[in-house]
Amino acid sequence: MEANDYKGKVKPSWCPGCGNHAVLMSLRKAMATLDYQTHETAIVSGIGCSSRFPFFMSTYGFHTIHGRALPVAIGLKQAKPETKVIAVGGDGDGLSIGGNHFIHASRKNPNITYIMMDNEIYALTKGQCSPTSRTGTTTKCNPYAWTADRINPVLMALSFNASFVARGHSGNIKQLEELILKGLEHKGFSFIHVISPCIQYNKVSSYEKIKEIVKDLPENHDTTDRANAMKYAFAPEGLYTGIFYKDNRPTYEERYQEIIKKAKQNYTNDVTLEDIMKQFQ
Amino acid sequence: MKDLRIKISGTSGQGIISAGDILSYATARKGYYVTTYRAFPSEIRGDGKCYYTLRISEEKTLTATGDSDILICLDEDTIYEGLDTIKDDGILIYDKDIVPELKKTNKNIITYGISLKSLGNERARNMVALGIVVGLLKNLHLEEQILKDIELRYKAKAQEVIDSNKNALNSGFKYALEKLKRKDNYECVKMESTGAKLIMSGNEAIGFAALCAGCRLFAGYPITPATEIMEWLAKELPKLGGKMIQCEDEIAAINYALGSSFAGVKSMTATSGPGLSLMQEAIGLASMAELPIVIADVQRSGPSTGMPTKTEQSDLFAALYGTHGDCPKIVLAPMNVEDCFYQTINAFNFAEQYQVPVIILSDASLGPRRECVDLIDLKKLKIIDRTKPKLKKGDIYNRYEDTQTGISPITSVGDKYGEHTITGLEHTISNAPTPSPEVHKQMTEKRFRKLETATTKFSKAKTYGSDDASIGIISWGSTSGAVFEAIDKAKKKNIKVQALYPRTLYPLPTTWIKDFIKNKEVIIVIEANYNAQFKSTIVERCTHINRGTEVLEFLKYDGTPFFPEEILEEIEKVDKIQKEKNEISTNKHTHF
Repeated sequence: MEANDYKGKVKPSWCPGCGNHAVLMSLRKAMATLDYQTHETAIVSGIGCSSRFPFFMSTYGFHTIHGRALPVAIGLKQAKPETKVIAVGGDGDGLSIGGNHFIHASRKNPNITYIMMDNEIYALTKGQCSPTSRTGTTTKCNPYAWTADRINPVLMALSFNASFVARGHSGNIKQLEELILKGLEHKGFSFIHVISPCIQYNKVSSYEKIKEIVKDLPENHDTTDRANAMKYAFAPEGLYTGIFYKDNRPTYEERYQEIIKKAKQNYTNDVTLEDIMKQFQ
Repeated sequence: MKDLRIKISGTSGQGIISAGDILSYATARKGYYVTTYRAFPSEIRGDGKCYYTLRISEEKTLTATGDSDILICLDEDTIYEGLDTIKDDGILIYDKDIVPELKKTNKNIITYGISLKSLGNERARNMVALGIVVGLLKNLHLEEQILKDIELRYKAKAQEVIDSNKNALNSGFKYALEKLKRKDNYECVKMESTGAKLIMSGNEAIGFAALCAGCRLFAGYPITPATEIMEWLAKELPKLGGKMIQCEDEIAAINYALGSSFAGVKSMTATSGPGLSLMQEAIGLASMAELPIVIADVQRSGPSTGMPTKTEQSDLFAALYGTHGDCPKIVLAPMNVEDCFYQTINAFNFAEQYQVPVIILSDASLGPRRECVDLIDLKKLKIIDRTKPKLKKGDIYNRYEDTQTGISPITSVGDKYGEHTITGLEHTISNAPTPSPEVHKQMTEKRFRKLETATTKFSKAKTYGSDDASIGIISWGSTSGAVFEAIDKAKKKNIKVQALYPRTLYPLPTTWIKDFIKNKEVIIVIEANYNAQFKSTIVERCTHINRGTEVLEFLKYDGTPFFPEEILEEIEKVDKIQKEKNEISTNKHTHF
């Protein structure tokens, strides 16, 4: 497969220069590298600028409702575990309205990838503060100042025990491709936080500004050390990119296979509806 | 005597529900029909009261509620609450250790004060009481079967627990046979066994039907009184390779199920009122994206947290209109446990066939109640799967092809050449998002056309009672059982009544309602809610009702189900008014 084979019928509706274009290109490339088949792949999103993503792909796609990409994605994966499932969305979608699902997706460890395109703003609704907006930001909704503190998505994912946590940014497409590829290859819940600038509604976190503050995680960073990964996620002096953490534990689907085995253990043959009906006789 | 009502009551934690369940299983397995009603508080232990009513009969009955032949009270409070509901010459069994001196009563009943603890032990008083009942009704010959059912109920527990319960039952049984000075006439009660049947609860019937319909993924969040569906499926689904997923909330639950349905797996969720409210947005998504999904709502008293263990039929508006936008869906209401099974099969068939969300409206009186169901022939069940397109390489597949029936062939994740993106946005036939006025109009009509197609396939709403009745009752869901019984009682008093009980509530059964009211002078809509939710829907949506026929309402909203007696009273009241009216008009007529 070639990256272009994943082009959908609908042309990307994002503004020229939007950080999401880089994510779209990177994902297509990573999928081509892994030879993902379009009929066996599903892209699931919520609502927001970045959530329009599935329309721009030639795979199966489900553009759901605000905040619900993860439950839909996990349900789909459990129903058909052979499917490659990628959930995508923004910071408002995944950290505000859908924040609860992020916790539980992380601890259940389904074998899916979750790419969060973080532009630190609600862009589809034309610029209101999101959970990652900087304190003090002013918007039409917050004409004097945004008073809440920011959320740290990478630190959250680490504390929720996501089994793969990485961060990239749209200004470094080479690294982004690499991170998405690693995320797709990872067995378990892989969370990729992408700083994806909004050139229209967020003048603070521009490409230039991001480039100033990002730095690669040290080469000797031990990705199995969660406490240390948290230290880097906390770091006030810059925004680290790269793979923070990675572990290998059974996936949600694998664990469910154990349940199925246990449920069947007292039967010698395949269980039938007649067998189940016996309890009512 | 063809049927018997036994009521067991006491305080939460005294084993009322266990005793009732064990007795229901034993009677059903002995070949008698049994239907039950249970009411219990939310707390597991505490001051809340538990009531378990069993109606044992030779023929199938549809409601357990009503005056009892035998009332067993394990505490003091429920004695005085329950005295008035004992039939004349009926029996009260109470614990002498707790109530040494029974207050005087004017009721003509037989009382047996027995020291239950001395016959077993403190924790097995419920079993001693059961043993006494089995002894009192010795001609039903339940003693062997009930010991087997005790064993089954406690099979996961230590042998000494099983033995202590069995011993308690035996000593109660022997006491009734050998020591009790009988003052009652129940010794002669005999019943014909009517052969093998099934016994299950309304919630289990929904779970089992889901399996039979091919459901292989259930996602849910615990909520009284629907949790039992989830618990039962958690145990059974994996045996068939299916999955029960406990989610972080109801919003997640329905969305898990939608993801699963998109993958081509029949999926469902179950909840109660608060959960239904949370699911509404996703129900709209299913409607817009045309994804099959089944939602069972075991209604409880609302609004808000309401009374979690008490019944009500007050989610009808939420089921019909709860979702924003013009939202095609199908709403079904089973009337008893057996119907829970068959309506759930229908629910999956309709969801798959018409690619819509289907809501099943059960309730707190129906979900937990155990009752006999006639044997189910699994081979005869008609199971329908969604229509897939036949695609080959290069074909253009339009997911939302505008067809005559409104139904567009659907592919699932994994199907070659059928890739598409579904969305809650309005979309063209080839699923591209659009705000076009023409497309929104066309697609809204297409989605609703599926319901028009469906309406032609629904089985006719059934009627009960005589065709020439001038009084008509329209009821839905679990209320219908009490209505039928009231109709039988009215017949004995020479009042003719006919009931219509649609199981498909939406799309509205307009034609059947129209047919039904044709020859009626007055219609009473009976339902368990304050707002007369079905009545106002009928009156508003079936405008022909407004012309000529008087439509009355008889409502109950105290958390308890309808009793046949109170419906009978209402029928008599209406009948009297009608007769007076007719007399006046006749007099007028002769006067002229």
